[in-house]
Amino acid sequence: MFVLAEKGMKIIERFIPMRHTDIRELLKFEKTPLNLLVAFTTLVFLVLFVVGATNYLIHGHHAYGVTREHPWGLMIAMYIFFVVSSTGLCIMSAIGHVFEVEVLEPFAKRAIHGALVTLLSGFVVIFLEIGHPLKMMIYNTISPGLTSAIWGMGVLYSLYLIFIVIEFFFLLRHDHKWAKRFGIFGLVVGVAAHSNLGAVFGFLVARPVANGIYYPLYFILSAMVTGCYLIFLMYGFKYKLNFPPEMQKTLVATSKILGLLLAILLFFEIWRMLTAIYGGMEDRAETALHILKSSPFLVGEILLGIVIPFLVILLSNGKAIRTMVFASLGGMVGIFFMRYDLVHDTQLYPMQTLKLREYQLPPSFIEYFPSTTEIFIALGAIGIAITLYYIGDKILYLETDPD
Amino acid sequence: MANYGMALDYKNCINCKACEVACKEENGVQLGADKHRIWVGVKEIEGLWPNLSIASSTFEPSQCQQCENAPCQEVCPTQATHYTKDGVVMVDADKCILCSYCMEACPYDARYVKEDTMTVDKCTFCSDTRLLRGETTTACQATCPTKVRTFGDLDDPNSEISILLAHREHRTLKTHLGTKPKLFYLI
Amino acid sequence: MKVEISRRRFLQGSVALSIIGGTSIGATSLLSDENEHGEMRIMTRTTNTKAQKVPFLCGMCVNKCAGIARVEKGVVVKLDPNPYFPKSRNMLCPRGNAGIQTLYDPDRLKYPLVRVGNRGDGKYKRVSWDEAYDAILNGTDKFKGLLQILDEEKDNRSTIGYCNGEGLSKEGFEELMGLKIGTPNYVDEISICLETVLGGYSATIGAYGEADMSNADYVIIAGANRAEAIITPDTMDMFKRSKGRGLKTIVLDPRFTNTAAKADRWYAVNPGTDLAFVLALTYVVFDENLYDKEFAKKYLVGYEDYKNHVIKNGYTPQWAEKITNIPADEIYKTAREFMSSEHPIYYQGRRSVFAKNDFQLRRAQAIFQGLSGNLDKKGGIIYGKKLALPKEDVNSPMYAQAQDRFDKEGIAIFAGKTGSWIVFRNMVLEGKNPYPLRAMFMRKHNPMAGVPNTKKTEEFLKKMDLNVMIDILPSDTTMFCDVILPEASYLERTSPVASYGFLEPAIVQRKAAIKPMFESKTPEVIYKELAEKLTEPLWKNSLKYDEDVQDDTKGMKADELAKYYKENGFDLTEPWEKSVEELNKERVVKAFGEEAWNTLEEKGVYYPNMDKYHKQLNPNEYQYYPDDKKNYTTKGDKLKVVVNFKNLAKKGVDPMPTWHDEWAFKVPDGQFRLVTGRHAQFTQSGTTNNMALRDLIPTNYIWINKREAKKRGIEFGDMLEVKSSIGKIHIKAYPTEKIAPNMIFMLHGFGGSSKEMEMAYGKGGNDAAIIEDKIEPVYGAAVMHETNVEIRKV
Ligand code: SF4
Ligand code: SF4
Ligand code: SF4
Repeated sequence: MFVLAEKGMKIIERFIPMRHTDIRELLKFEKTPLNLLVAFTTLVFLVLFVVGATNYLIHGHHAYGVTREHPWGLMIAMYIFFVVSSTGLCIMSAIGHVFEVEVLEPFAKRAIHGALVTLLSGFVVIFLEIGHPLKMMIYNTISPGLTSAIWGMGVLYSLYLIFIVIEFFFLLRHDHKWAKRFGIFGLVVGVAAHSNLGAVFGFLVARPVANGIYYPLYFILSAMVTGCYLIFLMYGFKYKLNFPPEMQKTLVATSKILGLLLAILLFFEIWRMLTAIYGGMEDRAETALHILKSSPFLVGEILLGIVIPFLVILLSNGKAIRTMVFASLGGMVGIFFMRYDLVHDTQLYPMQTLKLREYQLPPSFIEYFPSTTEIFIALGAIGIAITLYYIGDKILYLETDPD
Repeated sequence: MANYGMALDYKNCINCKACEVACKEENGVQLGADKHRIWVGVKEIEGLWPNLSIASSTFEPSQCQQCENAPCQEVCPTQATHYTKDGVVMVDADKCILCSYCMEACPYDARYVKEDTMTVDKCTFCSDTRLLRGETTTACQATCPTKVRTFGDLDDPNSEISILLAHREHRTLKTHLGTKPKLFYLI
Repeated sequence: MKVEISRRRFLQGSVALSIIGGTSIGATSLLSDENEHGEMRIMTRTTNTKAQKVPFLCGMCVNKCAGIARVEKGVVVKLDPNPYFPKSRNMLCPRGNAGIQTLYDPDRLKYPLVRVGNRGDGKYKRVSWDEAYDAILNGTDKFKGLLQILDEEKDNRSTIGYCNGEGLSKEGFEELMGLKIGTPNYVDEISICLETVLGGYSATIGAYGEADMSNADYVIIAGANRAEAIITPDTMDMFKRSKGRGLKTIVLDPRFTNTAAKADRWYAVNPGTDLAFVLALTYVVFDENLYDKEFAKKYLVGYEDYKNHVIKNGYTPQWAEKITNIPADEIYKTAREFMSSEHPIYYQGRRSVFAKNDFQLRRAQAIFQGLSGNLDKKGGIIYGKKLALPKEDVNSPMYAQAQDRFDKEGIAIFAGKTGSWIVFRNMVLEGKNPYPLRAMFMRKHNPMAGVPNTKKTEEFLKKMDLNVMIDILPSDTTMFCDVILPEASYLERTSPVASYGFLEPAIVQRKAAIKPMFESKTPEVIYKELAEKLTEPLWKNSLKYDEDVQDDTKGMKADELAKYYKENGFDLTEPWEKSVEELNKERVVKAFGEEAWNTLEEKGVYYPNMDKYHKQLNPNEYQYYPDDKKNYTTKGDKLKVVVNFKNLAKKGVDPMPTWHDEWAFKVPDGQFRLVTGRHAQFTQSGTTNNMALRDLIPTNYIWINKREAKKRGIEFGDMLEVKSSIGKIHIKAYPTEKIAPNMIFMLHGFGGSSKEMEMAYGKGGNDAAIIEDKIEPVYGAAVMHETNVEIRKV
């Protein structure tokens, strides 16, 4: 195994510059308490992943908390969480190296690496959600449902994967011309895939809170926010909060952009709620009010995901980049709930409002709580993302200039 | 080639659930309360004893609406959900990848996961059982004590269902969603 | 049961056993799997393969709808309605559809079993049929046999009791036990069911009759829940025209039923006070002279006495309002509407006896119907006709040592053949029986769940020296039996032909869809084999003790003795010399000819001119008889409504319906009146193990008024203890506004205690365990709605 992997790396090294090709090097890291903690958590997550995935493979969807009334659960939320992160990072990267906004250029490579890592993690999750992934590959190809947003999404994300791999490849080779070309492709396809993801929900006419017009923009916006948070996290971790001056400039700029994005996002959220509640549709209003009162929305989505980072930026005029690292950690938790809520809230209002049995309570808002297996796999996917990121970070030159 | 639909004289329904059992037996629908292709719904009664609103407790027998503009079909990534030549919305279990998107999309909660194949299933108008054998009624229709359902070809002006729909007022469920259901509730 | 094959292996077992039985089961079309809770589920699915279509009569409840069983490769895969039977009119209810799950119930009794442990502990040994019959005759080391008992009792046949459940093979069991073996001590479902309804109507209008619901235009349904306790054709005819479509429907029920949901008006009548309502209706009718005077003069015997009686006693709507909880003006309105309708019906009702005044209630209803003149005519209560089938006489021996039945305590009119379950059981328990009762032979009957006061039933069963059960499932009662004989379910047997009468009479036949599974046998074969086993030894016992027989046979030679034995009916096997199939054919051919028999065999139904009369009207409906051939009016001048029944007074029964104040509805503070009833998805305890029906109602709940529940902090699904003077049960709460604050309701039939019925065991509460064993005074029928209970959250 090791030998094979090393051989592979040697081959890759012929095309792109690498920091290490020695596998053993991967296991070496500075044993700071934080690093140890991260390493340990990641390991635990990976173990959980194995347990969860095994349980899923044995019991299938029984292992999940999904039901007839709530067919989509944490897996879908997690998938969206990852792919949106990916698009966000891709966009942020593109601003620097495609649109040549110089101050943002430094993180172009790292961001694309992140985009790749999160996308792959998302794919892992979706493979464990789809009941028959192999059948999917066959019939998506020979019997495509062209009107299906999921089908479109599948195709676009696959293309997107190809493009960003190539983009990354050229970035690593410092071939800016080609990197830029594929960067544009990747960006276009990524954004398309992304708005398609919006359409996956937007087309659900059945579901009162699924809001077609609003989703595509909302998705791009929240993706970019996610990208910014992840950039803060990646660099915060890399520099242990001691940012070099160059990086400080970049991050201040990032946080200013982020501030603007958050303001718009907040504005969006407010209007989304207002139109839902006063839009004259009873089921939608009822659902919106229910959401409004739920803590994942208030504490997660709004407070952690938007308000706190926004206040940090606002109050410091974007300069508190160290605080921003922590705010971003909270921000990602908020973003997670944003995705989770997207999935869950869409399904909140029951499609069957009548009692089907004498001895039951009348149907009200549909409840769902992820099963242990789902939680294991979700955490596991985060573990996978961290691991992949770490490997990339270890073997590749992720800064603009190789040291 | 036909265009199958169903008219429901729902005021006849006594909520006996014979149709539910008949459907399960005929079509091998798995046992289990949430595994059903067909159901009878009733609203929680309004009012306080003994002044209850009789009208608030109407029985509403239902199943897949066999939408003419079926959201479930539209969202299926592999065309597992498709229209047959007779206008029946069907799931091809071989192609179903269990992405559950159709379950999200159906406004009527008509779909469920069939556990032996782990694919999505729903009312087929008995296409693959009774109709295939040349029978002209569905299992739910045939067994019903008060004969709530009339199944038939909407394109044939002489079919019982066409005559019923021509002569009696009717409505469909969640009409505003534009799904064009082919289950008609006779008023 | 220890010897039982495990549930999981049931299917393999059935395949193997059926092959021995000559049929092969394609296990593929019998889908089985296990759900998360480890419960096994079996479903069938129809396919396109060639199938046999066998006409049958449903056995899931008493109604006997006609169906067609679809049999693929020896497996019953679907039960469809039979469009030829005028009674069931091309329908099967949920239970009818779920018959397959009863047929293939993994818990079915599969082999004869003999008890090896103590009563109730469930330890049995699998034996051969012959060993089982032998155990009945000669006993084992655990229990005495019939011969020893009859020897000890000097051939007093009355020391054996028997009980029986409703069905097409019921009569055969009565022939065996009553006519042949010779005991009068028989109880059945009548005295825990509709005895007073039948009695009250027969005493008043000469018959129970049939309500012509397809032509009536006004109906009062009280004490009947036709939407949930399905009776054909009433249920179908009623609800196709309710809700402003020709049949105005007034429902009286203490709780809001599905029938109430179909009504124009629902009156939440106090339990047990319907009689006051009918009397008040009658008052209005007399007071305002609304009745059909000509008709009354002609047919209503003693109606003027009744008029005086009702007026004099002041049974005004105002008076009734206080008793019934129905506003006086509603009573006025109802009475006036009823009498001004063209075809009004006060529905006879069925179901159980609710209150002590039930006999009088039914009399009052029947008289009220008579006052409208809507009797023996289209749209009214009709008498109809029945197609006659030749009767088979049973040569019944006389046993000098046998004595009369004894369960007469507290009963005014002694019904003779079927007696009173409660009185019979309680007198034995209290030692009031003049001679011992030592054995119970039971078939398709579950008194542990059916007869109020389960504890007493258990004691009663334990008191017996010998308990024998013939049934298809190990019911609560079965678990107290010494010998258990597995019966073939209704889909595995051809039953004696039956004649259904009234408006559109027909002959019907149930044919076996498949051969009996496992080692089960059809009831008639069991009767026959049991008779063969018992006949000689019991005859010898009579010779030993019966003085009349001794006198008659003194000095007879062996061949003379054999002749005497045959001629005087001591040969118990005589009624079963021919098989059911042979007898059916013989009787039908004799009455209607060969052609009729062929039709019956093929279609399951026959009536004269069926080929001409029977037509499909549309995809859903059929004509059975043309309108002018229906038996709307059959009595003519022989019609008689006995209003003042003077003879009753001699027996201490009111000759005219009279209200007695002690019947007023009273519930002490903090207590609740318990009412019971049905939903359409199960039939008593017999179907509670059915997997398909379990999906629809997994367990019973206590209905408790929402506001009352809130006061007591009770929420949906909370476990409650419900306690009456005779026992307590645990059952989950269902708060609803559909019931009064001082009442609770629960479904009957749940709360099984037999561990061998895996689906039913421990699910819900058994109402018989808390309903006090009270009887009404006319026939001694069990009164179901006179128990007050306390509840408590546990
Ligand atoms: S069988 Fe007919 S009456 Fe019974 S629940 Fe179904 S639709 Fe209603
Ligand atoms: S009712 Fe639902 S499952 Fe049926 S066709 Fe319409 S959308 Fe599809
Ligand atoms: S038409 Fe057939 S498949 Fe559809 S609900 Fe009725 S019985 Fe079931």
